[in-house]
Amino acid sequence: MTNPAGEPPVRMYHVSKSYMAGRYALHDVSLEVRRGEFVFLTGASGAGKTTLLELIFAATEPSEGQILVLGRNVARLGASAIPALRRRVGVVFQDFKLLDDRTVEENVRLALDVIGTPRREARSRVFQLLKSVGLQHRRFHHPKSLSGGEQQRVALARALVNEPEILLADEPTGNLDPELTIEIMDLIMAAATRGTTVIVATHDLSLIDRYGKRMLRLEDGRIAEDHPAATAALGAST
Amino acid sequence: MSRVLVLIRVMFANALRGVRQASATSLLAVLTIAVVLVLVGSASLLVENMSGILDDFGAELQLTAYLEDDLSDSDLASLTDSVAAAPGVAGVELVTKEAALERFERIAGGAELLVGLDDNPLPASVEIELQPDARNAASLETLRASLDGLPGIDELAHGEEWIGGYMRAVSLIRGGAWGIGLVLGLAALLIVANTIRLAFYARRDELDILALVGASRTFVRVPFLLEGTLQGVLGGLVALVIVFGAYELLLPQVRYGLELLVGRAELHFFSASESAALVGAGAGLGLLGAMTALAGWRSES
Repeated sequence: MTNPAGEPPVRMYHVSKSYMAGRYALHDVSLEVRRGEFVFLTGASGAGKTTLLELIFAATEPSEGQILVLGRNVARLGASAIPALRRRVGVVFQDFKLLDDRTVEENVRLALDVIGTPRREARSRVFQLLKSVGLQHRRFHHPKSLSGGEQQRVALARALVNEPEILLADEPTGNLDPELTIEIMDLIMAAATRGTTVIVATHDLSLIDRYGKRMLRLEDGRIAEDHPAATAALGAST
Repeated sequence: MSRVLVLIRVMFANALRGVRQASATSLLAVLTIAVVLVLVGSASLLVENMSGILDDFGAELQLTAYLEDDLSDSDLASLTDSVAAAPGVAGVELVTKEAALERFERIAGGAELLVGLDDNPLPASVEIELQPDARNAASLETLRASLDGLPGIDELAHGEEWIGGYMRAVSLIRGGAWGIGLVLGLAALLIVANTIRLAFYARRDELDILALVGASRTFVRVPFLLEGTLQGVLGGLVALVIVFGAYELLLPQVRYGLELLVGRAELHFFSASESAALVGAGAGLGLLGAMTALAGWRSES
């Protein structure tokens, strides 16, 4: 599965998603996200942010329109092709989605286990990644013994351990205090500077102001505003 | 290590982890399979032993061809050979007039009953032992037809009612065992499938996270199939131990009762291959249960 160089990793053409007849979670959305671009997705609760992310990682199918993710048409993706796509797309959620009965290292290693990465190589990669998020000393701890910020860093490490081409984050700082929010956002921003395409759904406008990246605002399932990145971000740390 | 081997190792590790973590549901599945296999195993053991006893009875089923009086020794010998060559015959024994008289005297306790008779009134006969697969009405009819044409045979005597009763008893017991086994097996399958489905729902988060990080359907499903198979093997072993324990415990009483009732008590436990088959049936049940449970599941991630 390849994505021709220069081709935007995410493209949507008149995409709609309806869970009930006549009621749209997303309505006629068209957009492109360039390689290595960082995009904030914002809007009120129920505006369609999560649905848009779910469509990108093939958790749901569009009711209308076409979605090309890394060159693959998600609407026509067979069930057996979805795992291969997801290995190229890292996802982070507000509720971390960590397994409490596994250690930090095992949680991060999950993404490598599913593709059969040899244990030694997997451990080394997990260690490097945990080091990059400052949690190498906590690798044998269980998630329950970590703070919210630490748990989100573990989730981020799991999303990035496969070096995905796209990173999706759904309210990644929704459960964190302002200090930890900046800590997590800086780590996500660092991934973008390494060339990963990043889409972060958030309703925290202060983050959008702080980092000055492209902002897509959804309203009732439609794109109400597509604001380009500021040339110089206010107070951005990257 | 190749990626495939790593994947196989991880899937086995996940299966063992699943058994350990869902210990309550795993125990339930193991016990369910064990209970069913104890019932099926006990029924099979009973049927097998009863079939053995019936087979012993069957070996005693025989036809008797009473012969005409004026046959020479060479006629008797050739007639005996012809009868032995007839379809369904396992063996023959010629009982001469003299041997019949001796037998009668032995049974009757003396020759007083025959005093006054000039000649030995008892006919010579050929006692015919049937092959096991010929102990049925159709084979008996074929044999009867082929013997009827032989010169020198005066009358054929056989216990058709006895043979009919024997056949009915055998088919009733075997059919009943199959029916009970089938019903119990289906019930077990449903219970095991639902037990494994419970384990599945208990680990829904894990499955959704695996799907999220790009685990293939095989990677997600194989550990559950292994888990079901492992539970089945454990259930089979538990059942084997219980059936063996019950067999050893009840053997003296059953043997005594059978000796009183039918005069014989040649009982035996499962052979090694039959024991393996019982455990294998457990493995099959566990695997089928897991497959049934998985058939209704789809990841929501």
